[in-house]
Formats: sequence, structure tokens, C-alpha cells
Amino acid sequence: MAKRLTLYITIFLLIGIGLAPVISIFIKSLFVDGEFSLQNYGTLFQSDREWRLLFNSLTLAGATTLITLLLGVPLGMLFTKTDLPLKRLFAILFVIPLIIPSYILAIAWFYCLGRSGIVAIIFNVDFGIITSNLLFGFAGTLFVMVSALLPIVIILTMTYLRMVNPNLEEAARLHCSWTMVLRKITIPLIYPGIALAALIVFILTLGEFGVPSSLRFDVYSVESFTRFSAFYDFNTATTAAMPLGIITFIVLIVERLFLRKKTFIFRAAGSEKTMVMAPLGRTKPFFMAAVSILVFILVIVPLGVLLYKSVSFSAYAEAFIRSIGSIMRSLVYASVGATCLVVFGFFLGYLLERRALKFSFAADSIAIFLFALPGTVIGIGLISLWNTPGTNFIYASMGIIIFGYIAQYTALGERVLAATFSHLPHSMEEAGQIAGADWFRRLFKILIPLAKRGMAAAWLICFIFCLRDIGITMMVYPPAHDTLPVRIFTLMANSPDDLISALCVIMIIITLLPLFGLWLANKCAKKASTLG
Amino acid sequence: MKSRVIFYIVFVGVMSLSFATGCGQKDTNEVVVYVSEDQVFSEPIFRDFEAETGIKVKAVYDTEETKSTGVMNRLIGEMHNPQADVYWANEPIRAIVLKQKGISEQYFSPNAEGIPANFKDPQGYWTGFSARARVLIVSEEGLIYQTPTSIFTYTDDIWKTKGVMANPLFGTTTSWIAALFTVWGDERARDFMKRMKENGTKVSTSNGESTMLVVNNEFLFSVVDSDDATNAMRNGKPVWQIYPDQEEGELGCLVLPNATVLIKGGPNPENGRKLIDYLLSPQTERKLAFADCAQIPLHKGVETPNDVITIGKLKLMKVDFEAVARKLQEIQPYLKEWVGY
Amino acid sequence: MIIKIDNVYKSYNKNLVIKGISIDIEKGERIVILGPSGCGKTTLLRMIAGFIHPDKGKLIIDGRIVADNGKCIIEPENRHVGMVFQDLALWPHMSSYKNLEFGLKAKNIPKMERRKRIDEIFEKVQMDRFKNVHPGELSGGQQQRIALARALVMRPTILLMDEPLSSLDTDLSLILRKEILKLQEEFAITLIYVTHDREEAFSLATRIVVMDSGMIQKTGTVKEISEYIYNASHK
Repeated sequence: MAKRLTLYITIFLLIGIGLAPVISIFIKSLFVDGEFSLQNYGTLFQSDREWRLLFNSLTLAGATTLITLLLGVPLGMLFTKTDLPLKRLFAILFVIPLIIPSYILAIAWFYCLGRSGIVAIIFNVDFGIITSNLLFGFAGTLFVMVSALLPIVIILTMTYLRMVNPNLEEAARLHCSWTMVLRKITIPLIYPGIALAALIVFILTLGEFGVPSSLRFDVYSVESFTRFSAFYDFNTATTAAMPLGIITFIVLIVERLFLRKKTFIFRAAGSEKTMVMAPLGRTKPFFMAAVSILVFILVIVPLGVLLYKSVSFSAYAEAFIRSIGSIMRSLVYASVGATCLVVFGFFLGYLLERRALKFSFAADSIAIFLFALPGTVIGIGLISLWNTPGTNFIYASMGIIIFGYIAQYTALGERVLAATFSHLPHSMEEAGQIAGADWFRRLFKILIPLAKRGMAAAWLICFIFCLRDIGITMMVYPPAHDTLPVRIFTLMANSPDDLISALCVIMIIITLLPLFGLWLANKCAKKASTLG
Repeated sequence: MKSRVIFYIVFVGVMSLSFATGCGQKDTNEVVVYVSEDQVFSEPIFRDFEAETGIKVKAVYDTEETKSTGVMNRLIGEMHNPQADVYWANEPIRAIVLKQKGISEQYFSPNAEGIPANFKDPQGYWTGFSARARVLIVSEEGLIYQTPTSIFTYTDDIWKTKGVMANPLFGTTTSWIAALFTVWGDERARDFMKRMKENGTKVSTSNGESTMLVVNNEFLFSVVDSDDATNAMRNGKPVWQIYPDQEEGELGCLVLPNATVLIKGGPNPENGRKLIDYLLSPQTERKLAFADCAQIPLHKGVETPNDVITIGKLKLMKVDFEAVARKLQEIQPYLKEWVGY
Repeated sequence: MIIKIDNVYKSYNKNLVIKGISIDIEKGERIVILGPSGCGKTTLLRMIAGFIHPDKGKLIIDGRIVADNGKCIIEPENRHVGMVFQDLALWPHMSSYKNLEFGLKAKNIPKMERRKRIDEIFEKVQMDRFKNVHPGELSGGQQQRIALARALVMRPTILLMDEPLSSLDTDLSLILRKEILKLQEEFAITLIYVTHDREEAFSLATRIVVMDSGMIQKTGTVKEISEYIYNASHK
């Protein structure tokens, strides 16, 4: 009973915090001058332009997904399943672009390839024009999106590879070479992870606003933003967001149909047997070179550009003085947000994985739908719902930002923890139940300790996403509650390059803080365990 | 067991810290301002205000043009439960939209008296200060050609495919086009737009980009905001700024002031008025003239740097901003079509 | 002699788990390696399969040196060894038929031939009705038979089995033991079977190797070993 209650409360909160604002603006968009009317929707798709934009959006999202998969899955494999030298360092380097808000990547590439960028200075202006033409448009947008979202595919591939039962691979190894084993056995076994990665990349690209708008590639999400900013028309803006919502739903259905048919056996958590490794042999130098080149292009260059551009002490001093408050707030909000998201994700993930209630899929769909919705839409919804004198204590405090995070990012924690629960045998909890432990005791003594690693991973991922959030925070942050990404975005207009670069570098550093903390904690724990 | 204790300590710590930052600022001596002027320029003004009055300024800033989804939407969204006391608009059209939607409140600041009548609302719903002009920026290569003196350069055969203009759907460019419509009437303005297009004028995303394109000689001229042009020149770029249509019988140059708006039902109306007084003071105008935004003071006798013109020396385009605001909404579909959307 | 294990050592994280083991195995023998869990018997089996390599010592299969002093000379896929895993390791994303077909395809056996061999083996293990069923939908005994079939369809000369019956109930285990014996004889396979179950060992083996702590305690026929164990436990 207590268990059902907890789960119901979680769903109720998700609906209240996340879905209600969206429903509220959706309903408002159905009324014109106080009367029910579909007039707002009638204006949608009147012109060819909207179809073209939608086509652009889908092309960009499709191409980004395809390329990130083609690069990310092999890279994830190299980092987990082979004896590639320095693979840990490579893995960490490749993850950095995910931490950097994607529009910062776009800025870095602009500094590098723009008309008066570094490349143009080193070579000549004509060459700069060529690179600039490449950067501004489909190719550049695609490139930046790929480099920003590639880490998602790499991380998920690595995570799922670690869960594969090594015997399945060895059984195949008796008959064929490693390359074939990886192709025919290992990759099919991690299809759910690859599909999840594809889904996330697709949705994030579809909703992405910063990169295409700074690199002048017209996509649908920019159109929906433009309606907010240029015409102050909430109704048509909501209407404009709808096609994205519909596409997301279609993608979700496809994912469900595709994944439901298959059952997968992963090895149980804490299994003794170590993962099997494929030796690279003579191809090692080739892979080494390929990975080094990729890491150089995708990571070192943009980071280097930001560092180079900000290389003055005064820029850092100025950046720090101007934004110390925002830095602290960013850290606090992201920590609180991530903590709340882990709590939500824990129960919803449990719900999804154990099918504990009838409508577990519905809850999952809500979470994913909210994840896919542009942040501004959720932001507008939050304003229209919470901006009343009675609820000012939420609206005028950090509460509204946290609500925004919960609304947008619950799906992340949920899916990560669902994956965690999927390889915790049911019997562990059932054994506790037989022993007479009630729900809360089982929760705190069995489920949470067993899911600890997954919770830590979920916390980190949510932390990163909350920290880099701009869409929602920008819409709802109460006066004097701005976070660092918001400050970067607002300062960007007419500020000197070095100040913006310095702020970007600071942003990267504070995102790395918890990762560093985790690494330190891990090291201490290891030391303690060897001593004890 | 130990790890759980640590977990609780961290959890409680984070939560209380967040409440400390969230709710701790129950400072009553404060003022909330939403700002569309660039943060780099507006923030120092607020800092001075804080130092002089002891009133804490809590600000929400806008982002760059076209990327902004920010403060105007929030002001409209928060209509029924306002959070802001003051809105600092970077051009009067937004202030007029707020007036039309009933979001702003009348306030006649004593400091507004020195501001020319055409730069403030007669009913006191908004008051203009420090202005930008719509100027021609011309590259060195362009000057070898001929010196342009008018916005008709856009329709001049000699300058075919040499001109660029920021997207007329956004920001000051929209206001400029709408102003032309009010001054000329629809027919003539549409004809101008048509010929401009036929003459191969390209559309950039912002005035900043137009400036850069001219600086790099990709195009030879553009109409941009005076702050963009002045800045480029201050940075030693080989471009010149020309105030267009200054001759007898010509149109004059469009000048767009910043504007202060008092928000109806804001939480700190008294402090809001104090901030507006401060923003409208000659000393603020002086600061904004010397800052990198190089804005033109509207009060008489305010000291300016050499490269910032005084308002008295300029032949102004005679516009009624209310009419411009109305026209702006009216021509939106036409502009969309013109841009090719 | 089909397999020669020559003074083999293996360590994990500085723990020596195989401490100088030598066994000679003749063709057609049924060797059961008997020992408690953690004695190194599975490690030894995986070494023969080629998943791990001895740090020291030599491994000869069918007259070819397959591993020598830490170097792998012949990869697992070229050792012609079949294996049934403790958890069976049936590929969950393939049907029973595809599970069997995988190895044949890898060896480039033509389609007609593949079908013939798979059908034949399905009949032998009495699983012909379950060709298109995925392993997840099969019972434990049925999965067991598919795993066995998957190993046999490759016609290996050596079959390695790692406690394959440990998760089944006694009745089923008895039935399957008989089937394994029958099939081993029919295909003339050398069987190396790892278990901790004495009864299983006695019923299957022609020769038993008793292992403990990475070393061979005793090698001998069923009779010799049963006496040895009896004596050891009644001292």
C-alpha cells in the first residue's frame, strides 16, 4: 500500500509540475477571445516555409542521429572492449563537449572558422570565407550538433556494453573472429542502448535552438522561438510547438514497437566475471591515429580556441567578479535539481522497469514528451500557471527553476534508473519482503543501496543537464536568480570576446567539479577498502 | 551506515543552502528591473544606482536580438501578477506595446522635462532617453566609389548588390521600416522595399552582422544602429559612419531612444520611480555616451565624446512612435513575405 | 593424444589460480574435472577454449601448439573446440535456428549444407518443433538441448562443458546426462566436463581429474577416484 502510494505521489507530482503547465497553455491556445476555436491552428502550415522548416529540422535531426551513431558506437566499443592505449583519457575528453552548452561550441567554432576567425588569420581571408560559408548553414550546424551530442551515444554504448553477458560473446568467439563477434552478437545485444541514444540525440537535435540560430540554419524550433520573441504571441507560439510534439510522439511509438518485441539478458549486477576484451593487434596504430584525430577536431580545437581567446588574467578577473553570484547559484540550483530528479527518476524508473502500476508506460511517455518539448514552451507554461499572487513563493523563488528542471529532465533520471533496475533481480526485493520488511525498509535497505551506482550516474547526468540548461531558466529565472549560462547568454550581446570565452571556460570548469569530486571519492573509497 | 549519514548531511546542507540563497533575500529596499538594453552597458549603471541610493537592483536581462524570448514575453506573461517595477526598453516600440496591453503605468519623472517632446509619451506611459540613430556604415572600398548620403543608396543602380540590411522582422530594423511606412504611406514604402530587393540587397541576421560584413568588405554599405558603427570605428576598422538624408528637404535620420516604463502593480513602485529618475538623468546619458554603446544624449548640454553627435546637430526623421508601433504590427505579414518566409 | 596441457600457470591480479598443471588427454576420452568452486577448473577450461592464455607453459591441441608461454598462437575460432557454458549463453536476439546457424555461417558453409546439418541435429536433440523460437521462451531443459545442439552442429573434435546441468532438477539432469553420453559416442567426441558434483562426475567420466586450489590432486578412473575420495573423507 505504502509502495503504491509513493508511486502515485510521484506520478501526481510529475503531472502537476511538468504536464500541467503544458496542458494549461495548450488549452489556452484553443481559445480565441474567450471562445473555443481552432483558429490558431488554422494558421499553421499555411505557407510552404513551415513545411520547409520542418523538413530542415527532420533532416538535421536525422543526419545528426545517423552520424553520431556511426561514430559513437564504434568509439564506445573501442573505449570499453579493446586494449586501445589511453582509452580512459580519450573517453573523458570525448565527454567534455556534452558538458559545454552547445551554443558555446558554436561560438568556439565561430571564433575559429569565422570570416575573421583564427583560420582566416593563419591562412588568408579567402580561405576564411570558405570555412565561414561551410560553418554557417547545414554543414556547420550538423557538425556542431554531432560534436555536442556524440558523447551521449558514446556514454550509452559504454554503459550497455558493460552490462553484456561475456559468455554470449565467448560462445561466438569459438566460431569467428572478434570483428564478427562484435558485429553479430555484441552490437545486437546493445540495441536497446543504441536505440535510446538515437532517441535522445534525435529529440535533442529537433528541439535545439541555440546552435541552428547562431549558425543561421533555419529549423522549425527556431521558428517557434521567433514567434515568441518577435510577435509576443503565446498562442501561435504554442501552436508552432505542436508539430514537434507530434513528431516526438511518433518517435516514441516507433521506439516502443521496436524494443518491446525483444527480451535481453544482461548479466546480473555485481557479477564476478570481467568483461571480455578484444585485442586490436596490428590495427592498433590505425585506431590510435583515427581516435586522436577525432578527439583533436571535436574536442581539442574548440577548447583550445576558448582558452586562446580568453588568455588574459584580466578577462578572468572580470568574468569572475561579474559572475561569482551566478556561479554559486548555478551550482546550487543544479545540485538541488539533480537531487530532485534522482528522487523522481528513482520511483519512475522503478515503475517503468517493474511495471508496478498499470500506467507505467503512460508515465514514461509523459516524461519523454516533456523532455522533447522546447524549454521555452515549458517556460511559458510555468509562467502562466504559477505566476499568481498566491503562488508567488514558488514563482519568485528558485522553486520555479527547479520545477522547470523537473518538468524537462525527469526522463533522464527515469531511464538511467530503469536501466539500473533492469539488472537488479526481482528476487532481491522479494527476499526482503518475505523477511517481513515493509516498503520503506526495503526501499532504504535494499533498493537504494543496490541502485547506488545508477543513482550516482543519474545524478551526474541530471546535474550536467540542469547546469547547462538555458531554455527554461532563461524564461523563468526570478530577478537576481540568474545562472551562469543565462549570464553568458545575456552578456553575449556586444561583450568583448575574451570575457565571453573566459566565462565559457569557467562554465566548463564548474561542470567538471562534481566529476572531479566523484573521482576523488572513488579513489578515497578504494584506498579505504584496501586499507580496511 | 556511515555513507547514509554523509548523504543526509550533504542533502540537508544543499537544501538549506538553496533556501538561504532563494529566500534569504527578503530585502525590502530593492527594485526589480527587466532590461532589454545590452547587459554590458546597463549593469554598470545599476551598480552606480545601488551605490548612490542604497537600493538593491534585481535585474532580468534580455538576450541578443532575435534570440530573445526573454523579458517582453515575461512582462506580458506576468501581466496579472507583475514581478517587475521598471522595464528598460532599448527602443520605444516595445514600450508602446506594453502601453497598449495595459501593462505599464503613467509616470512623469521630473528628469523627463529636459527630454524633447517627440521622445516621450504625452500620457507618461514611457519616457525616452539616450538614443541610437539609424546610420549608414560604408566601407573604405565603398567610399572610393562614391559617398552615399541617403537611404536611397539601397535603390541606386550604382550600388546594385552592394548593400546589406539586417532582417526587417526584428529589432530596430523593423522599427525603421515601419517608420518609413508611416512617413511615406504604404504605397511609396512598398515600392521602396520592392526596388531595394530588385537592387540585390541581401538580408543579414542582425545589425551587428551587417556591420561585420561591411567591415570585411563583403558588402560596401548598410544601414545599422549608430552604436554598431561607432564601435567599429573605435576599434580602428576601415569604415565610416554617415548620418543619412541630412540635406534640406530630405527625410532626416531616424533616432530611436531607450525608454523607461513603470510597470503597473509592481512590488516596489516607489523605488521604481527612483530608478526611472536616475535613468533619465543627464549623468546617466553622459555615461551611456562615453560607454561603448556610444548613445546620443537627449538632454541638452550633456557632454559627449568626439565621435558621438549631439542631438541638436542632427536633422531628425519626424515620426510618431505610436503610429510606428501600430504600423509595425500591420506590416508584419508583408515583411515576412518580403524576406521570403 | 588430442590435448596436451604442459605445466601451465595462470594468475589474476597477482593471485596464482593455476599452479603448474599438466594433463594428457586421449581422443574419445571423457575427462571430468572435479573440484570445489574457485579451484581453477573453469579457468582451465577457458584456457583450452582460448579465451585466456597461460602465463607460462604450453597447450597443444590436435598436434598444434595453440598457446605458448603467455602467447596465443591459435585463436579460439580456429581451435575447432565446442563449448557449452554454465549459463548456456544462448544469444537472446536470435531464434534457436539462428543460434545454430551462426557458427556454420562463420565457417562459410553453404546454405543447403547448413540446413541439412541443423535439421539433423535438431532431430537428435528432439527440438525440431522449436526451431523458430527465441531462447527466452524455452524451458530450462529445452535451452540446455539447444546449447548442446549449438556446440555439436559444428562437429567439434573436442567438446568443453562447464557445469551445464547445474541449474536443472535431478530428473532432467539424469535424462540429459544420458543424452550427452549417447551423443558423445555417436559423434566420437573428446569430452572435457567440469563439475563440482561427484555423482555427475562418476556417471559421465572415463577418467576424472580432481582439482583443488589450482593444482591437480589426483587423476584416475572412476573406481580409483571414488576410492580416493572415500579414503580422504574417512581419515
